[in-house]
Amino acid sequence: MSEFNEYKKEIMDAAHNERISLALTRAIASYRGNVNNALQKFPHTIKLAEDVREIRSKSILQMEKLAQIACEAIESNKGKAYIAKDAGEALAIVQKLVGKNKLIVKGKSITAHEIELQEHLEAWGNQVYETDLGEFIVQQLKQRPMHVLSPAIHVPKEDVAALLSKLSGKDLPPTDIEKMVATARELLRDKFINADIGISGANVVAADVGTIFLIENEGNIRLATTLPPVHIAIIGMDKLVPTLGDAFKLVEVAWRYANYTVPSYVSMTSGPSKTGDIEKVTTYGAHGPKEFHVIFLDNGRTKLAQNSILCEVMYCLGCGGCLYECPVFAVTAGHFGDKRFAGAGAVWAALSGNKEKAAAIAYTCLTCGRCKVRCPMSIDTPAMCLELRKILAEDKSLL
Amino acid sequence: MPESLVPPGLTYLADNIISKDNILGAGKIKGAEWAKGLNLDRAGETIFFAGCGYQYSNDLESLMSLLRKIDKSAISTEWTMGVAGFQKKLGIDAAGIYRKLTSRGNSGYEPLRAAIKVLDKIGIKPGYLAEEEPCCGGPLYFSGLQKQFSERAQNVYNRLTSKGAREIISIVPSCTYTLRDLLPKYVNGDRLNIRHFCEVIAEMVPSLKLKYPDKVKVTYHDSCQLVRYLGLVKEPRSILSSIENIEFVEPKQTAGVWSTCCGGGGGFEVVFPELSLTLAKNRVKELVATGAEIIITHCPGCMMQLEAGLKELKLDNIKVMDLSEVVAAALGV
Repeated sequence: MSEFNEYKKEIMDAAHNERISLALTRAIASYRGNVNNALQKFPHTIKLAEDVREIRSKSILQMEKLAQIACEAIESNKGKAYIAKDAGEALAIVQKLVGKNKLIVKGKSITAHEIELQEHLEAWGNQVYETDLGEFIVQQLKQRPMHVLSPAIHVPKEDVAALLSKLSGKDLPPTDIEKMVATARELLRDKFINADIGISGANVVAADVGTIFLIENEGNIRLATTLPPVHIAIIGMDKLVPTLGDAFKLVEVAWRYANYTVPSYVSMTSGPSKTGDIEKVTTYGAHGPKEFHVIFLDNGRTKLAQNSILCEVMYCLGCGGCLYECPVFAVTAGHFGDKRFAGAGAVWAALSGNKEKAAAIAYTCLTCGRCKVRCPMSIDTPAMCLELRKILAEDKSLL
Repeated sequence: MPESLVPPGLTYLADNIISKDNILGAGKIKGAEWAKGLNLDRAGETIFFAGCGYQYSNDLESLMSLLRKIDKSAISTEWTMGVAGFQKKLGIDAAGIYRKLTSRGNSGYEPLRAAIKVLDKIGIKPGYLAEEEPCCGGPLYFSGLQKQFSERAQNVYNRLTSKGAREIISIVPSCTYTLRDLLPKYVNGDRLNIRHFCEVIAEMVPSLKLKYPDKVKVTYHDSCQLVRYLGLVKEPRSILSSIENIEFVEPKQTAGVWSTCCGGGGGFEVVFPELSLTLAKNRVKELVATGAEIIITHCPGCMMQLEAGLKELKLDNIKVMDLSEVVAAALGV
């Protein structure tokens, strides 16, 4: 039980930290306002979400086939595609592509956290910079992300000012948030320009054309995946959908429930940069990367698809709505979770093989079901937690 | 049984259910005390299912109060609950003794008595199995002990139907869900129709004259089980909005299917006693922001949590009432 006691201590420390509750209370109020506004302006989103759930539930059952189709499409676009059975295989592929002594810029990716990518890249002698502002803050503070879309939700502006002052050598007042963002922009600018490699995840992949979709507001993903000469995308196999049309539906639902009528940027990347403007000779690496690599990661997903209750966790669009509506998360933030958060996070923890962590998270779930009401995919997290509790209580294994 | 991953608080409750047929591990005769003087038959086609929550609510409140003190101290509740379980195996019920010494009164009886009086007024005289009423076993299922739940299931069903029951009017939301949706998965026999008390009352509302004795401003807290598991959103509201003298206000964003959990769900309160109190306080704040003087709810777990939250926030002028008590008062019974 000692892992549980450690976890409970972490949860209770978070619960006693009034900053977390305050930050989340504000975030929750803002989120609810924005989503209500977005759904009022675009009421068709609700029916669209039902269509997307259909698409997702079918796609999860044919991940391997979709990965094959996507790999062929990417290769025909002159990108390179790989299927990694587990984290070890994915990391081996990345190591071969990256080597050592490289400067790497990263877009936010939960999948990268899943395989502990940063730790490995650094162990191999590379320099890695998270470029999403929240991830950058959390990375520099050596903390872990506390929310799927707002990783630094728990960090007070005073701490951000202190961090950025230290990194920039300037004296930044905690009340001037604009100045802090400008400083972060300055700090990361030359990293984007000088980076050897840009790494990203993806929100969804259209298998038929081999296109990955990347949703963002900051613009860091565009820079990270366009300026360096090499772009590597590491993507869970559950992100694959059959067609371009499917992918468009999915992203529209995803960003609405994530707070936005529309995000600032959505990028569709299908291959390396190319031009034929000089005498129709196709040359790669014009203004964007010369190399585009996509690694599709299994890491237990195809096995999970066989459990009819637990497979729902893979319908997730990553909107983060469930976290804002969870009464426990409102008090503990991402401490209720592991690499992924709250009740759904328990399933992923179980998949990673850590039974004790999975149990701790699964028994923290109230099974109240508010998350399911909010979820555009109606993922039944209480049912998943109860199923997990059963599997763990009976000492069975997840896969 | 390999229960090392199940938190000790939950295995303690599970053990009570399996060995003593109620969540508290108390004697059954004490439990049926709430029905004294109501002259309910011990059999009938329609049976009232009282469940553990209301009957033992004062004892459960004492237990929770003790657990919260321990939770804040250096001794962990995990260790304590583990010891409690071990003691029981030796025949010592230290927790039970503590409970008996500290429990204050039988306020948990009121919602049950009110429900019976309301049913009587609308012409329904259900039977009640008294100390022979089985524990529904729901907490076993929610703890991950589905195997143990399924092992008891047929016996529960047999005992419920043994005196001729066809319909059960149940009042504890989680018991109702367990009897209606979980039990049928594991038993042979489908003779039982399970209804929640508020469904029965809501049907009768058009023909009832409901007038609360005073003019009051009330709000309503939906229990997770009632609203999201049983889907009973409009029934309590149709009842409340037809009672004269009641001004009914609801919290924005957190009513109906969006109701915020009080912190008493899925056995949470015995695993995280202190945190469940924080959640109770958070919910109380949402509810009192409506300006209501009475918080009405319809679940013994929520009642216990909301009362604890109000106490912690020192809001002595706001009270919690069960919907059955409100209806009883509005019917003058």
